[in-house]
Amino acid sequence: MAGPVARFVLKAIAWLPLAFAVWYFTAPVLLWPAKLLAQGVARVGLPDLVTSIEQTGATYTFATTLKPGAALAASGTITVDVNALLYAFGLPLFVALVLAAREPGWPRKLAIGYAVIIPFVTWGVLADFLKNVAITASPLVASQTGFAAWQRELIAFAFQFGSLILPTVVPAVVWVVTHRAFLERLRTRGVEPAAAP
Amino acid sequence: MIRFFILFLVLQAGLFGAELTPWAQKYFVEPWTNQLAAISATLVTLADPDVTAVGKVLRSTQNGFAVSIEAGCNGVEATIVLLAAVLAFPAPWKNKLVGLFAGVIAVQGLNIVRVISLFYLGQWDFEVFEWAHLYVWQALIMLDVLIVWLVWVRTLPRANDRRGGGDGPPGGAGPAGRPAATAAA
Repeated sequence: MAGPVARFVLKAIAWLPLAFAVWYFTAPVLLWPAKLLAQGVARVGLPDLVTSIEQTGATYTFATTLKPGAALAASGTITVDVNALLYAFGLPLFVALVLAAREPGWPRKLAIGYAVIIPFVTWGVLADFLKNVAITASPLVASQTGFAAWQRELIAFAFQFGSLILPTVVPAVVWVVTHRAFLERLRTRGVEPAAAP
Repeated sequence: MIRFFILFLVLQAGLFGAELTPWAQKYFVEPWTNQLAAISATLVTLADPDVTAVGKVLRSTQNGFAVSIEAGCNGVEATIVLLAAVLAFPAPWKNKLVGLFAGVIAVQGLNIVRVISLFYLGQWDFEVFEWAHLYVWQALIMLDVLIVWLVWVRTLPRANDRRGGGDGPPGGAGPAGRPAATAAA
């Protein structure tokens, strides 16, 4: 009964190493749109906190207006590094699933998945940054952010959800949505090649 | 399909929110994680007697290397995703319960493999450990959840068999009463 599923799984597992390798080495380019999105969100939502976001490889560096805790009058400000790969490992998983299914129009499905997953990478990165400055930073630094207790709770939840659930669930959901016909065939009679587009 | 996804997301967010409460952490997540470490240690000691579990920490008594099973590595989140996917899917309750029972075992079984593999990878090469820990195993566990769900969905009676259709799967079945296989055309 699980024959077609097993074949699909083996293909997905076979694609994973290549997908991970491509993802890792192209991450600076792949994750550039997520940085742009993070910049846009920071400009609109955190203008008093974030002055710029720079990308080095897959690491985003947030320059903030926050002063080091022990010297509020000092001229230096705090920067926070976030590894965007931590929130983007769903991309190779999605690619492996799409290539294992190899449905008609798969390049389009890849593009759709990428477009959907990138904003959630931004979510993870921003939540990580906010968690760092509002929760795990020293009280003198965290107090400068001006977040209320309920906002810190919200940041904690957004960080946990953005790091533990979204990076893996979003690719799976997008794959299910973009492969409904494949799933239906899988469910009813095994996976035969789909008709050409 | 929309109903399935909305229910899936609501259940998932609700269960995840519940998991984060101090009560759930104290009475469910911590004991669960400690048990996971204990089971991992029991399995490992079959071949390697120099391993012990203390709380959620798996430790080598030979070289002192230890891994602590933290949130994200205890399989609770993966189980929540599976739980939400099975509960949200239109299926008889009996099938859901069987799917959950078998699914939790499958997900936690692979999670034990993850913990044990990370324990030895960490002793071999920390860079490889970090890669496997942060990226590869996360993807594999989610793949496991997806596989379990796909296999479970394949075991379900067709909606038409149950009640003459009308309970379409998220796989894109046709309208109520029509054979769902038409969606594959």
